[in-house]
Amino acid sequence: MKNWIVILALFLSHLSLQAAKHAYTLSGKVTDTHNDPVSFATLSFNNAKFATTTDENGLFQIKLNKGKYLCKVTAISYSAHEFAIDLTKDTIVNIEMKVDAVLLQGVNVYGKSIGKQLEEGAFSVSAVEIAPNLNKMVTLNDLIDRTAGVKVRREGGAGSDFDLTINGMSGNSIRYFIDGVPLETKGSGLTLDNVPLNTVERVELYKGVVPSYLGSDALGGAVNIVTRKKRQNFLDASYGIGSFHTHSGDITRQYYIPGTAIVVQPTFSINYSKNNYMMKGVEVWSEEEDRYIYTNKRRFHDNYFSLFVQMEIGVNDVKWADKFFVSASYNKLNKDIQTGAMQNKVYGEASRYSHSFNVSARYNKRWDKVSTRLTLSHTWDHSETVDTAYRKYSWDGSWMPSSGNEMNNRARTIRVYKRPLTVLNAGADYELNEHNSFAFNYMFNRQGNDRHDKADRSFESSNDVVTKHILSLTYSQSFFNKKWQTSYFVKSYINSLSIKQTDDFTITGSDQIDRNKTKSYWGAGIGSRYSLCEPFAIKGSYEHSVRLPLSRELLGNGTTVYPNLTLSPETSNNYNLGIFGTCNFCEVHQLSYEANGFVRHVQNYIRATVSEREGMMQYVNEPAIDIKGFDVEVSYLWNSSLQLTVNGSWSDARDLKKFKTDGNPSATYKNRVPNRPWFFGNFDASYTFRDLLMKKDRLRIGAEYQYIHWYYLNWEAFGATSSKARIPTQNITNLSLSYSWHNDRYNISVECNNIFDRLAYDNYMLQKPGRSFGAKFRIFIN
Amino acid sequence: MKKSKFLLTSFMALFIAFGMTSCSEKDEPDPTPDDPTLIQDYHFDLWVALDKHGGMGRDVHTLVRSINSLEADQPEITFQGEGTEVNSILSLETILKGAYYYQVPVSGDRFAKYIIKDNHIQVIKERRFQTNTYSTRKYTHAWINDNTLVIMAANGDASKIIWTKLNTDDMTIISEGTLDVKMPEGGELFTTSGILTYRASDDKLFYFYYAKTGKAFGGKRVTPMMTAVINPATMAVESDTPCFLDCEMVGTAYGELLQTTTFIDDNNNLYIACVTDDTDGKEHSHLLKIPANSTSFDKSYDGFTAGGKLISVMYVGDNKVVAYARDDSAGTKIDDFSHYYTVIDVISKTSTPITYNGQSLAYSSGRFSSRMAYVNHKAYIGIDAKDQNPQIYIYDVEKNQTTLGATMKSGYYFEQIRVVENIK
Repeated sequence: MKNWIVILALFLSHLSLQAAKHAYTLSGKVTDTHNDPVSFATLSFNNAKFATTTDENGLFQIKLNKGKYLCKVTAISYSAHEFAIDLTKDTIVNIEMKVDAVLLQGVNVYGKSIGKQLEEGAFSVSAVEIAPNLNKMVTLNDLIDRTAGVKVRREGGAGSDFDLTINGMSGNSIRYFIDGVPLETKGSGLTLDNVPLNTVERVELYKGVVPSYLGSDALGGAVNIVTRKKRQNFLDASYGIGSFHTHSGDITRQYYIPGTAIVVQPTFSINYSKNNYMMKGVEVWSEEEDRYIYTNKRRFHDNYFSLFVQMEIGVNDVKWADKFFVSASYNKLNKDIQTGAMQNKVYGEASRYSHSFNVSARYNKRWDKVSTRLTLSHTWDHSETVDTAYRKYSWDGSWMPSSGNEMNNRARTIRVYKRPLTVLNAGADYELNEHNSFAFNYMFNRQGNDRHDKADRSFESSNDVVTKHILSLTYSQSFFNKKWQTSYFVKSYINSLSIKQTDDFTITGSDQIDRNKTKSYWGAGIGSRYSLCEPFAIKGSYEHSVRLPLSRELLGNGTTVYPNLTLSPETSNNYNLGIFGTCNFCEVHQLSYEANGFVRHVQNYIRATVSEREGMMQYVNEPAIDIKGFDVEVSYLWNSSLQLTVNGSWSDARDLKKFKTDGNPSATYKNRVPNRPWFFGNFDASYTFRDLLMKKDRLRIGAEYQYIHWYYLNWEAFGATSSKARIPTQNITNLSLSYSWHNDRYNISVECNNIFDRLAYDNYMLQKPGRSFGAKFRIFIN
Repeated sequence: MKKSKFLLTSFMALFIAFGMTSCSEKDEPDPTPDDPTLIQDYHFDLWVALDKHGGMGRDVHTLVRSINSLEADQPEITFQGEGTEVNSILSLETILKGAYYYQVPVSGDRFAKYIIKDNHIQVIKERRFQTNTYSTRKYTHAWINDNTLVIMAANGDASKIIWTKLNTDDMTIISEGTLDVKMPEGGELFTTSGILTYRASDDKLFYFYYAKTGKAFGGKRVTPMMTAVINPATMAVESDTPCFLDCEMVGTAYGELLQTTTFIDDNNNLYIACVTDDTDGKEHSHLLKIPANSTSFDKSYDGFTAGGKLISVMYVGDNKVVAYARDDSAGTKIDDFSHYYTVIDVISKTSTPITYNGQSLAYSSGRFSSRMAYVNHKAYIGIDAKDQNPQIYIYDVEKNQTTLGATMKSGYYFEQIRVVENIK
């Protein structure tokens, strides 16, 4: 096997060396009309036979054989630029590109967005460009849910809890970042459901292997939200209205103070929904019939309100910093709680309130071959779960007096959680030469968990602390004109726990743990990509990773998730192998494809279990899980107008726990892990009409179809099939129509989700909304 | 050939004659046996868990399989594609009487009566709570007669004891209220459910409980076990007295939904299994007695002095009790293989571990998984031992003899054996 790898490497090297024979260097810089560098522009030569991209500073370099070339330069938001060159010696050219307001909202046919380039990097990654969806009334969750290998499981409507799965790994194996910093620094109330869409440029979804610069202990993957970096003044404001009394408003402004390097970026976002969608076939007591009957009733206690305000101010390109920004943000979330972990637990008054305040600073500076970055953030996070009603509610909104509170029939409770979070992320990259570079990253993360109860005098206050240190070192190689790129990395994880809570010890396991402990773990990985030609490239990656339990998993969420203090870190060996490519033909056709296979060997897999009895969730360790699967996506684009995308994902997770907790053989050994979607797919189609009613207007009609195959709630092999609880198949179809005019200054869209009003569950007995309508108006001034 | 024909003809004649005899109502055996306590038509429901042993609020994936016989000649019992998945409706902790299961199901908003048949849970009757509400698995119960069930538990903040009386024919709520017991001095919380039992001979309900300090978990007991004697007709408390021994009931949270801790012998003496925290730092169980026609404990009586902790006690007649007990020297955790079966003689106050072929039965794991059932003078016990398939043994009370029963495929956490009458 090793011999074959060597032979293959030599063969590929030979091919590239042949290509590099008698080559001259063409280099230069791509800038915009303000002389600002255009990062990640694509330069394709002779109809994409050869290509390269600019770096962050707009610089490029490519070796080409002597000859005549037609070069096409493309970049997001810019008009394509073409020039001819006769290469007879090493040559430097500087290129100026003009902003194109139309293209600003879409993905160019030939231009490779940064996201696309990421996808073609060494790691298994999908990038979701936000621009084409900015006009729609959608959330980031809605967008990434349509990506191959990714599944978002929701508990209900707007603002409900969700769980993200990437390539078979559960949601909390996934880490969330915003510009490389943990998203939780913005407060527990800010999630993929309410991050203001118009602040986001793209979302990067790392599957399995996570690059070390993200400095985290992700195991199944990572979601990195990349905010807009465009250096231009703009105002982006939108208002959306939808079914179930849903309203959303976002305002984002970026302003460069004339004559200075100072930029001010205020952001304001607000969301509200009553979520009063119809629940189908719920049980209600009928006095007339003296029994429970099944009927349709609207949700009546599911109000959701979120507010996010942020002010960021900083400077670009001054002597002492390439970037220095300080920001302050405030986040507020009020959420009524309508059900427990199953819909037969109906609540009418329990609510959760949270607010958080964050201050942070980030600094970037490049000295010759060394670039450094530093982010420091502190968050004050406060949440309250109020459950003081001694009432038992029913789906018809009626209630009767109860002997205990709503959620667990115990004493009245106003449970307060204060979870202060401090994050420090520091990194340095050193570029040894054109082919070799090193990167070092350190992440410090300390989160407290100060709990007390304002109403339940039997509750014992406690203050737990979870501290993590994560260090990583990466070495990257690039050969054959960047056709072969490889990264090697090692990570060190240090986890310290200080646990004080003692309540519910039979459930939380607080009596079984070492209350103050520090443990360290190691991880390492490699990612490599070889691009044979534009239509075909291959990439593979491997990582031995460790994931430390999240606060939510370890300490609960104060409402529907019990703590499990006995949780151990997950460790995993992740293997990914993928092929991808893009074919352009007849000028107007583009066909892209990507196929990825993956294998995960996970120890101490952390899995969410639902206690049907308590209506509560808890995270538990499965000693060993083996996951394998693949996802495929094919995309066709015609003339920048018609876009068709189809993807499918399949995964198979098996329990490899040979022995039960008592040492005897386990019945579930090699059984499929229950309660997880394992086969799903999406089909998207859209057509864009241009210059329809007026010059430079656009009308986009889109349709989306989502299929999720049914799956069992519990272990598949045990119990008679007819008695087993299932999460049924979902067939969801959405339609949308958006119209933009005046160079995309004005945009309006209407949409209908779940047009056939299909019953949809992601979790057992937790209905999602049926048919809904939405409309959004957006104005973009730049 | 002739011989064969003759034999065949004779056999057919006999078969026809036998068939005709069987059809004759006149000659049908008397359906009423000599012993009215014998149950003629029943089956066993075996409850197993897949994830871990149940009890103490643990959430486990529970399966129930109905088996007509647990004799050794039965095929190995498996749950692969067999049995009823009950979690979405039922809890492992349940009341069983005759053919029916009674529960506050997982929805937590009703009382309900079920049967498990043909791998399905069938709802016989449900009744929405009225005023008093109960949590799934956290209540105690007693049958006053064949169709009157009393349920009792502490309320949400554990400041009072609530009760509900149900007619189980139609699950109507006959009456409900709050028990007139005062929080003992120094106490802030009542035990979650306590233990309720009914003695027909003097028509009294006995409610055992205690009080503790204000921490829901880790609160300290401030009184010995209390006994409230209740008039079942009015639910009035006739007396409320502390036990002479500084003890508590062996089970405090789940009543007798998983294990039984009380019983009444043939002479109408009432017994309860208790536990004391002794000076050696260990728990020691006691079997205390309230003699017939008395409402006070017999201070001179302790039916269990073998050491360790009694988990569940099952009266099998003839002054014998089959008990599931824990040998603390072998471990005290739920999953430790430290639990054994023993026969207690309530007269001689002796305890004799059950043996098979002269050998002690292996210790089992599962503190709340007593796996004991009694029917027709036989006690069925399930062993869930290390490095063995779960194994059922049958203890014949009259013969004082243990025989091998059916075997279960390995891999499951064997939780309960329940005897369920078949519906005619």
